[in-house]
Amino acid sequence: MNLELANTLAWWQWLILGLVPPAIIALYFLKLKRRPVEVPSTYLWHRSIEDLHVNTIWQRLRNNLLLYLQLAVVGLGMLAVLQPGWRTHASPGKHVIFLIDRSASMQAGDVGSSRLDEAKRQALAEVDQMTSGEVGMVIAFSDTAEVRQSFTDSRADLRRAIEGIGPSGRPTSVLEALRVASGLANPSTSGDVDLSQPAALYLFSDGGFDPPRGFALGNLEPVYRPVGRVDVQNVGIVAMNVRRHETRPEELQAFVRLQNFGSQQAQGSLTLELYGRTVDYSRFAVGPGESHAVVFNLGSLTSGVLHARAATEDVFPLDDEAWVAINRPRHARVLLVTPGNPDLQRSLSTTAVQEIAELTLAEPGALETEDFGQKLAAGQFDLVIFDRCQPKQMPLANTMFIGRIPPIGGWAQKDRQTLPQILDIDSSHPLMEWLDLGDVDVVEATPIVPPPGGRVLVDSNIGPLLAISPREGFEDLVLAFVLSDQVPEKGRVYSTNWVVRRSFPLFVFNLVSYMGGRRLAGAGESYLAGQTVILDSPGPGKTLTVETPSGRRIPLAESARGKFTFQSTDELGVYSVLAGEEVVHRFAVNLFNPAESDVRVKPGIEIGQTTVAGQISPRTTRRGIWKLLLSGGLAILLVEWYIYNRRVAM
Amino acid sequence: MSTASRLLSPELLAQLERLELVSRKVFRGRVKGERRSRRKGQSVEFADFRSYVPGDDLRFIDWNTYARLERLFLKLFLEEEDLHFYALVDASPSMDFGQPSKFHFARQLAAALGFIGLVRGDRVKVETLGQPPGRLAPVFRGRRSLWRMLDYLEGLRPEELVSLVEGTKRFCIRNSGKGIVVLLSDLMDKAGYEGALRYLLAQDFDIYVVQILSAEEVDPDLQGDLRLIDCEDHDVAEITMTAALRRRYQQTLSAFVGRAREFCTRRGIAYFLVRNDVPVEQIIRGYLRERGLVRG
Repeated sequence: MNLELANTLAWWQWLILGLVPPAIIALYFLKLKRRPVEVPSTYLWHRSIEDLHVNTIWQRLRNNLLLYLQLAVVGLGMLAVLQPGWRTHASPGKHVIFLIDRSASMQAGDVGSSRLDEAKRQALAEVDQMTSGEVGMVIAFSDTAEVRQSFTDSRADLRRAIEGIGPSGRPTSVLEALRVASGLANPSTSGDVDLSQPAALYLFSDGGFDPPRGFALGNLEPVYRPVGRVDVQNVGIVAMNVRRHETRPEELQAFVRLQNFGSQQAQGSLTLELYGRTVDYSRFAVGPGESHAVVFNLGSLTSGVLHARAATEDVFPLDDEAWVAINRPRHARVLLVTPGNPDLQRSLSTTAVQEIAELTLAEPGALETEDFGQKLAAGQFDLVIFDRCQPKQMPLANTMFIGRIPPIGGWAQKDRQTLPQILDIDSSHPLMEWLDLGDVDVVEATPIVPPPGGRVLVDSNIGPLLAISPREGFEDLVLAFVLSDQVPEKGRVYSTNWVVRRSFPLFVFNLVSYMGGRRLAGAGESYLAGQTVILDSPGPGKTLTVETPSGRRIPLAESARGKFTFQSTDELGVYSVLAGEEVVHRFAVNLFNPAESDVRVKPGIEIGQTTVAGQISPRTTRRGIWKLLLSGGLAILLVEWYIYNRRVAM
Repeated sequence: MSTASRLLSPELLAQLERLELVSRKVFRGRVKGERRSRRKGQSVEFADFRSYVPGDDLRFIDWNTYARLERLFLKLFLEEEDLHFYALVDASPSMDFGQPSKFHFARQLAAALGFIGLVRGDRVKVETLGQPPGRLAPVFRGRRSLWRMLDYLEGLRPEELVSLVEGTKRFCIRNSGKGIVVLLSDLMDKAGYEGALRYLLAQDFDIYVVQILSAEEVDPDLQGDLRLIDCEDHDVAEITMTAALRRRYQQTLSAFVGRAREFCTRRGIAYFLVRNDVPVEQIIRGYLRERGLVRG
């Protein structure tokens, strides 16, 4: 603590003030104006005074005690005039909300053991500066927000909440955390405290998130405390997947892409392990801001856990590893309910589709049978294609409707129109991958309107012709026109020439590949941290347990008939799905997030319309002690008064 | 108010008439008084015989003894003598303190004790320690001398700057006779009181010391920073009155009084400590009578 003095007096004022102590001393030691009193005899008084002079030192001290006290009062007053003080940590404010980023990038080790530990340390320091009457709350966030401690004036509770924040491999999204904080800081919705006054929002983060657009701070006064360094180097694995060899489909290949997020050339080595045993190795050199892809040939691998490890000297180890789980392939169970569609059946019978799917045919009449309905309800199929028919109830499976819409709310059809012109296709969707529909003509179609959340895959001048929409863990695909129809006396009448175009069998392969349970074109299964994983039931009446990379076992509850959902994908690594004690499935959770791998801390952030600059060091304020000094002087004055009166008390 | 009533009230006089001074010693006086003396003199009470020598009074020849023994013997009778009472008053300026002043109190005591002596036919003499050498104090005898004695006392002033030792020394030189000496003083002499009392002891007086202190001396009402000035020698003592000093002063006073009492007691001197705020009649009728100076 560096003591500071603030001179507020002029030289002549100091001169006058400086004369006070010597004046006191002079007055004290000058002969006191004693009141003369005539007494019969001073004989006994002399004797009494002499007796009292036995303890000379103490007597001198007592005699001069008042002098010392008076000098002390004057000294304190002069010191108070100088307004001594020191710079100290400012109190965070009456109401403060601590937002602590615990996303994957906060595990970078460029400051201390990790950025998260540093953020917690800084937050704890702010908590320690809180004074009585001030309340605070703690919110930890990654891509979701968690209120660790609601508003409290207990610093112990706040400390406990902060110290209990653990790291996460999830990406960063500050919007939800801001909304939670805003909801609690808004006086109209606050239930705990009266926050008609602004609340300080302390954000401890590296700024690795997209600016939350459309968010209004309202009563929040943001303080951004960037944690980490700007000049950090990091090379990370941003993608890894396993696919069938293009020319030798019986073999698998692993693709690993690295990216350099630093400002310097990075070199290193990439090791590929299978079940912990190194199977391949590659060296790489990546320029600043560039990517580098490495391909590993895996041969005729049928199952296993692949672990890619990049050995680089950087501060962020989380993206230096990636996993892929290769599970034994399972054929998709596809049911085609059709009154007869040779083109579709032919496309579903190609060698490529047969390798990944088992096709079952059924006529629309079977939908009326109870037995068939039970099969559909039991989730025995991965994909059910309804060609010109509708079930009474939607099956527990992905579906495709040709010329019909699902019998559930949300879907709608417009009026039938002829010769629609295809205007646009969504090539980014896996179903439309590699498709070129430029040579596809349609005679007539009934444009469809997908429910909210649906996605138009093929759009035309009359409306959507192909759309997909999620439904409770499944997806429903709807084609707005029939492919062909058997017309009495005319034979097969085609409504489109698509079935004879090259894109049709490719579309059917994509359909089976995508909607047949999972993308089986590649054999590796990988999810991003925070993603929800849908798992198939191993069988009627069976339960599943997921074992995380750290060994924690989480039992799952069946969310839908035959499906289990798993959301605790915070840890990076390989998860095992257990049916009893038998591992029935594996999947991997990876970071694969360039935004998180780019660990260069942002010096400022944008929240809504507000640009918030980072505050590196804690706010300081000057704490003066002049009041304390004056109070001390008054106290000494009281003591002096007491001593004086005590001495002369009769 | 007349001088007499200022020193002695009529009620007190009436009470004092019934008292008499008591001496622990039987002394030889100059005039025949009411007191028995060991001296054989002329009175009605036969005491003893002695052989006749030419010149003796023939009226006292015991003719019965001559008839038997054919020798001349003279009858001897007990002498009735008067008591010499001396009131030795300290008239130093230090006695002029208090309400009433110690000096006035001393005069009252002297007047009271002197009146008792006058009523009993004692020879009363009132002197001050600073009595001028060439000027003798008057002797008072008989009730008729009361007013002269009171006038004399009233004329005394506490202005004599003489030490106790010197004053008693002079007194002893002036008064070689025996008797009762009542020293009325505060004994606050920086030269001490011991020497003065030794002079009186040497004279074989029946000594009574009445130390008179004022209430203000016993319990001084002083506060603050003071310059105490001795009224006699103008000695200065600068004090800051504190509770501790006050306690110490009282302890010192108590020790001083205690030493004086012990000194007197060891030497057969009757010691009395009186305060000026106690009525004289209470002292005489109560205190002094209990202690044996007066009886009646």
